Formats: sequence, structure tokens, C-alpha cells
Amino acid sequence: MKRIKAFIPYLLAYRWEISIGIIALLATDLIGLAIPWILKNFIDLLPHKPSGSELAGYAGLLFLAAIGQGVSRFGWRKYLFGPSRKIEVDILNKLFRHLQTLDKTFYQNQKVGDLMSRATNDLRAVKDFLGLGLLVVLDAVVVIVAAVALMIAINPRLTMYALVPLPFLSILFFGFIKTIGARHTAIQENLARITSMVQENLAGIRVLHAFVQEEHEMKRFDDLNRKHIAKNMELAKLFGMFTPSLVLTIGIAALITLWVGGKEVIAHQTAIQSGEVVENAFSLGSFVAFNGYLLMLSWPMMAIGYVINLTQKGLAAMDRIQEIFDSRSSLVAEVSAASKELSEGGIEFKDLTFNYPNEPDPVLNNIDLKIAAGSTVALIGMIGSGKSSLAQLIPRVFNAEDGAIFIDGQPIREIPLDRLRSHIAFVDQEPFLFSTSIRNNIAVGRSDATDEEVDTMVRCVHLTPDLERWPQGLDTVVGERGVSLSGGQKQRIALARALIRNPKILILDDAFSSLDIETEAIILRNIQKITHSLTTIVITHRLTITRQVDQILVMEHGRIVERGNHEMLIKNEGLYQRMYTNQALAREMEILLQ
Amino acid sequence: MTGETKENLENKYYDWPLFKRILGYLRPYRFLVVISLLLLLAVSMLGLAGPYLTKVAIDDYIRIGRYEGLNRIALIYIAVLVGAFVFQFLQYTTMQYIGQKVMFDLRTQVFAHLHKMSFRYFDRNPIGKMMTRTVNDVEVLNEMLTSGLILVFSDLFTLIGIFLMLAWLDWRLMLMVCAVFPFLYLATQAYRVRARDALRKNRAHITTLNSTLEENLSGMTTVQLFNQESTQYRKFWEINRDKLKEDLRSLHYNSIYLPSIDIFSAIGIGLVIWYGGGRLVQGEVLLGVLVAFLMYLQKFFEPIRDMAEKFNIIQTAMASSERIFELLDTPEELPNPKHPQSVSRIAGNIEFENVWFSYNKEDYVLKDVSFSLKEGESLAIVGATGSGKSTIINTLLRFYDIQKGRISIDGVSLKEMNKQDLRRHMALVQQDVFLFSRNIIDNIRLGNASLGLEEVESVAQSVNSHHFINNLPFKYEQELIERGSSLSMGQRQLLSFARALAFDPRILILDEATSNVDTETERQIQDAIHELMKGRTSIIIAHRLSTLKTVDKVLVLKHGEVQEFGTRQELLRNKGVYYDLLKLQMELSD
Repeated sequence: MKRIKAFIPYLLAYRWEISIGIIALLATDLIGLAIPWILKNFIDLLPHKPSGSELAGYAGLLFLAAIGQGVSRFGWRKYLFGPSRKIEVDILNKLFRHLQTLDKTFYQNQKVGDLMSRATNDLRAVKDFLGLGLLVVLDAVVVIVAAVALMIAINPRLTMYALVPLPFLSILFFGFIKTIGARHTAIQENLARITSMVQENLAGIRVLHAFVQEEHEMKRFDDLNRKHIAKNMELAKLFGMFTPSLVLTIGIAALITLWVGGKEVIAHQTAIQSGEVVENAFSLGSFVAFNGYLLMLSWPMMAIGYVINLTQKGLAAMDRIQEIFDSRSSLVAEVSAASKELSEGGIEFKDLTFNYPNEPDPVLNNIDLKIAAGSTVALIGMIGSGKSSLAQLIPRVFNAEDGAIFIDGQPIREIPLDRLRSHIAFVDQEPFLFSTSIRNNIAVGRSDATDEEVDTMVRCVHLTPDLERWPQGLDTVVGERGVSLSGGQKQRIALARALIRNPKILILDDAFSSLDIETEAIILRNIQKITHSLTTIVITHRLTITRQVDQILVMEHGRIVERGNHEMLIKNEGLYQRMYTNQALAREMEILLQ
Repeated sequence: MTGETKENLENKYYDWPLFKRILGYLRPYRFLVVISLLLLLAVSMLGLAGPYLTKVAIDDYIRIGRYEGLNRIALIYIAVLVGAFVFQFLQYTTMQYIGQKVMFDLRTQVFAHLHKMSFRYFDRNPIGKMMTRTVNDVEVLNEMLTSGLILVFSDLFTLIGIFLMLAWLDWRLMLMVCAVFPFLYLATQAYRVRARDALRKNRAHITTLNSTLEENLSGMTTVQLFNQESTQYRKFWEINRDKLKEDLRSLHYNSIYLPSIDIFSAIGIGLVIWYGGGRLVQGEVLLGVLVAFLMYLQKFFEPIRDMAEKFNIIQTAMASSERIFELLDTPEELPNPKHPQSVSRIAGNIEFENVWFSYNKEDYVLKDVSFSLKEGESLAIVGATGSGKSTIINTLLRFYDIQKGRISIDGVSLKEMNKQDLRRHMALVQQDVFLFSRNIIDNIRLGNASLGLEEVESVAQSVNSHHFINNLPFKYEQELIERGSSLSMGQRQLLSFARALAFDPRILILDEATSNVDTETERQIQDAIHELMKGRTSIIIAHRLSTLKTVDKVLVLKHGEVQEFGTRQELLRNKGVYYDLLKLQMELSD
């Protein structure tokens, strides 16, 4: 119940439509129940040789009932299914809004595929539950109660006999439902295994083909799929029993009616023929109407199974969606009233220790660092030494402890997030581009950017030579539906979109890794030309630019182990000197062979 | 994004050939399909027996007042019920089995086809898309075969059965009811055309919606860093609104069409009562017939309603199958030759003769590249970023075909060999090591199950991997996760060396890692590379000066052209790039 509670507000938003829908549904059911009654009277009338106008009257009555039923059916379809679809859209919009507030800590622990599945498959299950599920429950309850009541009114004794098989139905039902659930889960798990095998095969296709593993992989895939057949058939056998059992149960009830009821009708007729007056008359018409009501029960009985299934799926899906809604961003806003515009771009770390949420060991230890506004700093070190972690703390991709990072003297936690980020440009190694035109990608953070500004940026990041290769120049669409860009092109576009926002702080997290050294140098020179007093932090594995920076920071195991300029650090004969020597070939190659 | 939507909307309606192709997958199981259809027929017929038995009971027994006959009818009824139960069970399981088999065939076919695709294909197509084809689309198709298609058949059978039954009971009454059909047909046509349009548009919007959602989820950090939340939300909201519009439109059609069937059904019943009732009074029809007629008529409109509901499933499945077939119809770009040269043993002489290659038409990445290696020789390739080093490897493994020139091994051109035979003699060690989410031993031997633990251990020992593997909690049984993040970069390198050595190739291809590792690991890696190269023709993309001194020949690439090639001695005499590099090495080691 608690789980459903979270979804009640969505329903309430459409309370009028839903009310109309429910009323229409009740009307449909009531008219539906009236029809066998009309037929009953009609049949009972037949032996009395009715006139043509009487017959036409019954025909007209039935026709009117059908019109009424048609209209009310239209009503509930439109006003019960309609809101459920609108609610689906509402929830999805809200979910999207909520997902936007969640920070990287959340996304690191989630697979995109899984989130997608929650937003699509699970949401569909919720929609079905809220629309179809509630509808069917309501419908079933009304029909069962009313039909049974009418049956009792016609013939209480026969009703008792006819309903004997029904308890058996519920026993059958609850016996099945658990096993069905378990087998269903087993199938889903196996399907997940198939999915991840395909995914891994495609991701590692180079290795698999280089080592001629096609046949072996196909055999593995074959096995997995054979298991899938087996598991599906286990469920199919159960389901194959289930539905026919329901039909059988209803059939037995109909049989009892025919047999017991038939005898009663005969007795009744014999009595009439012998001129006796009988109470509780069970006429032929009553018999037919009774049969009609019994048939009406069959659908709600079968629907129970359907509803239980829908409910199970729906509630599980609600849980999974609610999990996302319950997640909170760790970026709490502690905006102080005194917060002022960032003007300089000076950064200071004060005894910063940082560990990722839910990780016991810190990745950064006691970092004390001052980066003067307008200066350029190179962060170097091995993979996993903490360079990127340090850089990501500045635009608050992750949250640093209180009072550890300051920009222009202000603790970053006190700066509104959007203001902070509008002054920081962060470019990483594998930038994410939107599937829109290159121009729109560059202007993404500055919708008011003029074409000239975009062109300036294109020149600045040295994209001009690439422009001719794209069919529509800057208006070429990126991604699946357009051109696929090389790593270097993506990196340069990402740099352009960062710079066009005119930031105070530029962070380049291995952002030139796919560019050759010459282009890198040109771009860095261009950046200096078009910006003034831009605080720049460069994380790099290639030690080609370290000669030009104001300060080099060498990191190891989350600490800054060496700092100074190139000459100082080479003399130091430490980590920097060793790395510099190791990379001599790569570096010289780049220089010699350009 | 709008382009995508438009494209989907302009899809032509070529449903029939598509449908025939889907049915083609049923062919291997035609025997079972026939059985299943017969069972279905039986189930439908037995389902119709109820009203008929009721009719017999009323006309022949109840009205006349014969008890004994009623007992017999009851017995027949029981037989019918049990029969229906058994047939329904058999029919359901048979159909499910067929569906599962077809799905199995289709899925393994798609998977196998993907493995035949060239790297150009993989370069172009995102993994997510290919995954959807293999998993989800196949699943949707199965749903159509097992539930959609079969229900249509069962509905059709019921419909025909009822029709015949009505004609047999009283053909004049039946003809009266037929007056409704033209109107029913018109209504159905009107519904079908509109509903299809709404469904297609709705589906196109859903595709856009999902891709927008996926894009936002994968790029959330970027969205947030650029303060783009509101812009993206508005975009998403608009697509959602468009989707809802079409969704409600198709709901609207449904809401009108389905109740309209009830009205047609009511007209039919009304006609029976009016016309049939009159004839009953005249004694031309029996009461039971009339009752049965009314019962059948109620059943008659159920299948029609049902088919309208199934329409959606079938439409979705058609779209899925279209996409699956599109993938299956993508031709293999690098087919094996019809009569391949046998390459069961090779010595390992490699020759590139005036090789030209481009990924994109005129943009040559390799220009007139020639070099040769004798059996057992080692070659270091050096060059700047983008000079074509990795491309040489890609063409040698025949991941791509060259446009001009010839690549040969032991004098046989690559194009005359089976790709797989060729690759069996080579081992590739990549810069970024790909680990599978299997245990260590399977990551080393891959599919080569003939290698036991002992062999794998000794392989690991010779490339310095045994030590760290042995320190893992489950040693060789340790399960790795896909990105292998539990291992350090150095360890991953060593593991990939073990993988290469386990296949004991004649030709070793190694892309040296550029990442910085600590001194001890560095030494272990260098040792292992030495071990790997022993007795093999080796090609190494070198990133370390120290590597240059251990090889026999050096190839210097510049913008896709060979700048220098020769033995170390030759190049030293040349005083070119190699000479400069060695000089640098001397200076640095001073």
C-alpha cells in the first residue's frame, strides 16, 4: 500500500476524468447485466405467441441497451485509459527532471541500460497497472457481485451448485501464481545473461576476431539460448495448464447449470402442464438468463489471473522507479547570501582529503594547493594517482568536504551551482557530444552566440581544415544519423564549446590525447591569444607542454609528490624525470615526424 | 533528431513481403505448425459446442421434458470440456515451442551474422543498436508469432466456425444477420487506416523519446556542467507531448471502434429477435435454435474485437522484423575466397608491396607502403599520432581490405586465404587490453579448452603474470568484471601477454602501451615482451626508446608513407630519424 501511495497524486490530478470513466464503467456493467434479463423476459414471452410489435419492442429495447453500452464503453475507454497514458507522460517528465538533479555519484553506480529499462519497461508496467489493472479490478468486482446477486435472485439453489467449482479456482490460482513468478524471474535473468554476452562480444570484437573465437562464442551463445528455450518452456507448460484450467472450471459450472437447471425447468414445465401453481418458478427464460450471467462470470474470473500478474509487475516496477525518485544528489546547496560573482578565477585547496562515496580509502590526501588567477598548471602522474578526481572537484562533479576548496576566496559550496559551473569549462578525454549539428554543439552553453563567435572558436580550436570534409560544414549533424567524428575532432569541438562560454577557469582533463603535438601547441597558443587571465589546469600524460606552464604538479597515490617548473623537476631526478625520459621516443617522434 | 522522426514517418507500407519472410522462419517447423493449427481448430470447435449442446438440451429434452437425454448431454458436455482442456494445453505448449525455436534460430542467425560483419560496420554502428536487434527485436517478434499471430488464427477459426454453425442452424436467420457485415467492414477499414497512422507516428515519437533519454543519461555530467537542464527538459517535454498526442489519438480510434462493434452486435441480436421471434411464433424455428443463435452472436463479435486489440502487437512486430532483416541483409564486406589457399602451417615471412589504404574514399592513410620481414625477424614501427601505425596492423590482420597493392604471408596474398586461418597464426596485443567478464583462466585461453590449468600456469609464468594471479583470492578462478578494473594497468598488460602466448602464434603483433607504470612493472613488461618475441616474426608499435634497441628492423612512418625502413645498422648509417632517436637515448641515459 505504501508503494502505491507515492503514485496517488498522479491519479488525483485526473480525478474528474477518472470519475467519469468509473461512472461510464459502472453504466456499461449495469446495462450488460440488464441484457440477459431482457432476453429472459423475451423468451418467457415466446410461448404466449407475442405480436409483431411486441417483438419489435424487445428488439428496440436491446438495441437501445446496446447503444447505451456502446456510449458508456467509449466513455470508460477514453476516460480510464486516457489518464493512465497521461500519467505515464507525467511520471516520465518528472523522472527526467529528477534524473537531471542527480550527480555523478549516482550515475557511476548505474548502468544507462538499466535506467532506460526503468524509464521505459517499468513505466509501462506502472501504466498498465494504473490503467488496465484498476479498471479490471473494478470491473471484475462489479460484475461478479451483481451477476451472482442476480443469479441468486433467479434461483438460489442452482447458484449454490453452479458456484461449487469456483473455490477450486482460487486454490488453483494461488498455487500457480508463485511458481509462475519464480519461473518468470528465471527467464528474465537468463535474458539478461544473453544481453550482456552480446554486449561483451561487440565490445571485444577485435580481440575475438583476432584470436578467431567466432565459433567458440557462437557455441556459447547457442548454449545460452538453448537454456533460454528450456526455461521458457517450463513457464509455457505452466501457463498452458493455467488458462485451460480456468476455462474448464467455468465449463463445469455451465455443465452443472445445464444439468441441474435443465431438470428444474422440466419439473417446472411438467408442473405447469399439470396445472399446478409453483413457487420459485424456474422458467426456460430464467434458465437462459442464468446461463447468460454465468458466462459473464468467466471473464472476470480469468481477469483475476491477469490482474494479479499486472499487479505483481506493476508494484515491482513502482519500486524500481521509486528507487530513482528516492535518490538524492549529494550536492547540497549552502548558498550564502553574501556570495558574489566570480571575478578572478583563483583556486585554493586547503588540506583536502577526498574519498568517493561508499569507498573506504581516500583517493586524495591532504592536498594543499594554490593556483593563482590567470596561471597555467599541469597536473601529471600515473593512471589512478588522483589527477582527474582533483580536477572534477572544482566544478563539483563530486562533492569535496566543507571548507576545502575556495574560488576567489569563497568556499565553493557557498556559490550557487549554476553560477559556479557557468564560469568553469571542463573538457575531458572522451567528450560527450549531442546528436545535433556541430554548430549547435559548439553553442550549447551559449544559445545567444553569433555565427561570428562560433567561427572564431572554430578557428581557435583548429577545426577549419576539417570543415570541408563534412557534407554540410558546421551544420552537419553529429552521431548515428550524421557523421561519425574522430576522437580528435570530438575533442576540439568540446574545447570550442567550453571556450565560447568565456570561462574564468579552464580544465583540460587529457583533452588533447587524440591530437598530434603540433595541433596541440597551435591550439594552446590560440587560446592564450583570445582569452586573458584564464586560469588553466591541464591534466596530461604527454609531457610536451610542461615546459611552458607556470607550475607542474606531480601526483602519486592521491598526494602531490613533486611541484615546480620543468627545470627544477628534471634536476630533482624523481618521478617527473623518469616519466619524461620514458616518453622521450613518443615525444621526439611527434616532433621529428611532423 | 527531427530528421530521424521524419524518416520513420515516411516508411512505406511494405508489410506483405515482410510478413511472408517472417512466415519463412516457420518452415522448418511446418509439421508442428500444422499440428498446432489443427489443435487450434479443435479448440475453437469445442468452444462452439457449448451453445449447440444447450440448444439440443432445450429443443430435444427440456422443452419436451425428457430427463434421460439430459444426462447424455451432460456426459457429452464433460467430454467436450476435458477435450478442450487437453487440446488447449497441447496447442499452447506446441505453439510456444515453435516460437522459442524460431526465436532461437533468428537470434543465433543475427549473432552469427554480426560476427561476419567487417570492422567498417562496427565503426559505423553503435553497440546499443546492434544489441537491440539481437535481443529485444527478436523477443518482440516472438511475441507476435506466439500470441498475436496464433490468436488471429484462433479468432479466424472461431469466426468461420460460428458462421457455418449459424448457416446450418437456420440460413435465413443467418442471412438476416449478414446485413450488418458491410457496415462492420467499412467501420473496420476506417479504423485500420487511421489507427495504423497514429500507431506509426506514435512509435516514431517513442524512438525519438528513448534516444533523447538515453543521450541525456549518458551525457548527464555534460548537461549539468553546461547548465543545460532546462533546455533539455523542454526538448524532452515537447517530444513527450507529441507522443502523447498520437497515443491519445490511437486511443480515441480504439474507443470509438471497439464499442461500435457492440452496436453492430446489438443490431444483429435485434434482427434475430424481431425476425426470428416472428418465425418462432409461426412455428418455423425452434426455441433452442433461437437461444443458440443469440449465444453464438455474442461470441461472434468477440474475435473481431480481439483482432483489433492485436493490431498493435503486430504493427510493433513488423517494425522489429524490418530492423532485424535490415541487419541480416547487410552483406559481408570481406568474404572468404571460394577456394582458399591452405595455410595450416606458416613460416612467418611478411611482405607489404605498395599498399594503399583508406578508411574514407580518397583519404589515404597508408600510401604506397612497402616493407618485408623474414621468418623470426622483429620490426618496430615508429611514427607520430595518426601516421598509420595501427592501420598497418589492421590490414595485416585483414580487419580491413586494402585498396591497392598486396600483402602476403609466405608469398600467399591475404585475400587468397580464409580470414580465420590467417588470424589463427597471429596474436594481437592491444594497447588497451580488453578483458571478458569470465575468470582469469578463460581470459587467457579464451575458447581453447584444450589448455588445462597447468599449461595456462606455465604460460603465465613465462610472461611474469603468474605471480600476481596467484595472489588473487581465487587465483586462476578469479572472475573479472568487464572493464577489469580490479586489475592495475600493468597487470592487464601482462595478462594480455599470457593470452597471446597461450595461442603460440607464428606472428606476434603488439601495440606497446603508452601509460606510465612503476619501474618494477615496467621491467616485468619488458622481460615478457622479450619472451613473447622469441622465435616469432614480431611487429611492435613502439613507444619506448628501449624497445628500439631490441628489434631487428625499424620502420619509420610519416603521414602514411614510409620515411625509413631497414635493419638497425642500415638506418644508423643513414643518419635519419632513427639515428636521431638513438642519439637522444644516449643523451638521456647519461
